[in-house]
Amino acid sequence: MTSSKDISQMFDSESKKLQNLIDTANSKTDMNIHDIVDTYYQVMNVSSMATMLKQQTYSEPSHLLSKIQETEKMISEKFDSIIHPNFLLKISLSIQEMTKNLQSGNSGEKLKEQIESDAKLFEELRQTMSTREFVEQYENGIFHD
Amino acid sequence: MISDIAKNLVELKKEFVKLYDGNSQIQEFIPKSKSELFPIEELHLDLLHEFATKNPIYYNSFEKKIGSVDCIVYEGDINKYWLNSIQHGSSKAPFSPTWIMSGYIGTMFAKELGYSEVIDIGSGDGRIAYCAKVLDLESHSIEIDDMLVDLQHLLTSTLNFHPYCDDAITFDYSSLNLLRPIFFIGGLAQMGGIFLATGVLDKVNLISNLKQNSGWVFAGTLSQKYTPDPKNEAGWGTLIEKNNLKSIQRVSLPAAWTFHESDDVQYIFTESI
Repeated sequence: MTSSKDISQMFDSESKKLQNLIDTANSKTDMNIHDIVDTYYQVMNVSSMATMLKQQTYSEPSHLLSKIQETEKMISEKFDSIIHPNFLLKISLSIQEMTKNLQSGNSGEKLKEQIESDAKLFEELRQTMSTREFVEQYENGIFHD
Repeated sequence: MISDIAKNLVELKKEFVKLYDGNSQIQEFIPKSKSELFPIEELHLDLLHEFATKNPIYYNSFEKKIGSVDCIVYEGDINKYWLNSIQHGSSKAPFSPTWIMSGYIGTMFAKELGYSEVIDIGSGDGRIAYCAKVLDLESHSIEIDDMLVDLQHLLTSTLNFHPYCDDAITFDYSSLNLLRPIFFIGGLAQMGGIFLATGVLDKVNLISNLKQNSGWVFAGTLSQKYTPDPKNEAGWGTLIEKNNLKSIQRVSLPAAWTFHESDDVQYIFTESI
């Protein structure tokens, strides 16, 4: 059976991972799609843990409650208010840029190799668009909570 | 016989998937000539090859023996049409074509079921309407995306399958003077197909003789990636029941997007109860 200490340590560890990801997001301007998605998953992971642990507050030590509140504040003030809108903007601009480039390169006859090389850029665009949908779903979650 | 051809195509597709080592976005094959597995008129096969060779989505072709059948493989790319279609506000689903052979087999069933006109809704490059003309059926092709309709016009010099650049939900079907039509609905139920089919059904059912005389073909999937319909029918069960239709034929056929999938597209043929 998992003890209160184990739960507290696990939450602490996951919160630290999130803190690191948020620090990276604040300092790095060229985060790739994979890193962005990882950050969202960690936010959702820690948020779910916090929700679950708060429902068991009667049996949890007070320092864990303080940690939960501190982490929720970090998510709300740093991630939801600053990093998430920046991610969304960055992804949207990236989609616009990729679309523009692909449209401008669409005229005229192309060799087989060029078509197949361009297809990789189209695939990248599709992945970025899927990421935008995922990020927008997170945003819908924030506003419906 | 048509069911056998359909099964043979699905089996040969499995062989093709194992053999294919190219990098194209889409790829399909057409048998070179009439054979035991594909007892298709030579003239029809020639017309199917002509559709592929004239069609700018295909940029390469080569001969390949797949199983026991000599075929021509066509390699293509639909990315620029995809890009255009997603920017089209009214487009309900991005262009992703069925195989030319699948279009041909689908329209063979339509002919065998006694329909005289094929209406290809959300027709993409118009291949189902084209295949209907190969089989001497009257056909009309309705597509909202202007870039795709321009492409269709390149292909009508061989057979005029009557492309219309229009929204299928607002299109005036009475202008076609249809007698015994069958409507092929492009797009999976879960990919905007329900919305499209409902709009067209509502419109067609207002025309006096058509509610009882029309057939409807829906493209469905058994893939677990898509939410199933509680009434089944590969995603279309609820719509079929709601519109008092009944399933009269079901066939599995390959499409571009099922190349790497174990299950092909489930075409559900229906008519009024």
